[in-house]
Amino acid sequence: MNTSSLSEHEFRGQLADQTNRRSSRWIWILFLLCALATTGLFFIPAFIIRPFRYQAPRALFVAMDLRQRAPLGTLIAGAACFALAFALWKTVGLWRKGLLVLILLVVTFSAVMARQNYFEWMFHPIAGAQFFAQSESKLDPKEMIMAVRFASDARAYPISQMAYHHVLNDVVGGVPITVTY
Amino acid sequence: MNGRVLHFYLAGINNQNFLMRDRETGTWWQQITGKAIYGPLRGAALDLVLSDELTFGEWRTEFPSGQVLAPVAKYTKEYEPNWEPDVAKLPVVISFPGTELKSRDVVIGLTVGGAARAYPWETFVKQSPVVDRVNGTPLLLVLGPDGKSFRVFVSRIDGHDAEFFLQGDETANTSTEKKPWALLDSTTASQWNFQGCATSGPAQGKCLDRIPALKDYWFDWRNYHPDTTIYKR
Repeated sequence: MNTSSLSEHEFRGQLADQTNRRSSRWIWILFLLCALATTGLFFIPAFIIRPFRYQAPRALFVAMDLRQRAPLGTLIAGAACFALAFALWKTVGLWRKGLLVLILLVVTFSAVMARQNYFEWMFHPIAGAQFFAQSESKLDPKEMIMAVRFASDARAYPISQMAYHHVLNDVVGGVPITVTY
Repeated sequence: MNGRVLHFYLAGINNQNFLMRDRETGTWWQQITGKAIYGPLRGAALDLVLSDELTFGEWRTEFPSGQVLAPVAKYTKEYEPNWEPDVAKLPVVISFPGTELKSRDVVIGLTVGGAARAYPWETFVKQSPVVDRVNGTPLLLVLGPDGKSFRVFVSRIDGHDAEFFLQGDETANTSTEKKPWALLDSTTASQWNFQGCATSGPAQGKCLDRIPALKDYWFDWRNYHPDTTIYKR
């Protein structure tokens, strides 16, 4: 296009459009980076720590590292995503608005999941463990149990139950223990 | 840990041995070793408490006043009393092809002064009581009267190495009368129960020292004890 044929007013308007477009491109890039960071903080460790998959030592380290940083990291990156989306909102058409909303949904999901222990959704912990005298227990004598004794306090943890709950914090004879299976 | 009580929760899985974290510091711990592998307490290790894997029937007779963890009503349908055959079918993600055992072979794993040894469960069941020596310490591995429970002892009486055998073995061919389950030691000829205590004879009232031992799958034991030896005889 030959700019010399434009009036000065038109020329300035086009220049402003170009800068707007350029800066809105930067906002898009920043927005997408924030979105990647937020989703990565949840999905990368979740992917590495999949059950029935091999965890390489280095990958496991990365997973724990990200998981450790995820609650704060997703909060900051997620908030930045929302701020940038807000800045973009008025400059884009319907189709891109839809895209923004979709990405924000994934970002929100990641930030929420980074605060959730989904392993405990699969294997619920025991809240406030109850104990019976052994005479009241309906366990089959052939069932396997894990047993500990401190001084005169003896306790049995049926393996069928522990294989589901996996972890139990307990105090036996004054000694704090964690029972795992 | 250092006088502070930590509370643990399930936090992930590392090659089919789970990871837990403590609510107090957020540190990550490996289940089998009790070691802190990531986070503020990294490098620390929990003390292993002596525990038993017994049948409920055996335990009940030993600890009449003991208490049993109650099932949580909400989750009773999730409990799987017959978990062993199901778990044995699950795939494994690490294996040690050069070794003599298969990944899902069950072993009794123990360590004495840093030396680890695995006893294949099937061999152990056939041979019990197993007498062995690890890192200079004489060991006695015993299958309980129920054929499922097991315990490991230091086979020393008053500082002297001792040998043990099942009372039933001696009389099996000569007598049809079944004697109650008991171990005999060759030094004092005392009778010992499954708790490792002498119930009659010159050693009566004495008890053998215990060694913590873990019933585990071979792949898991080998993964965390790369220098483990395997018991053979």
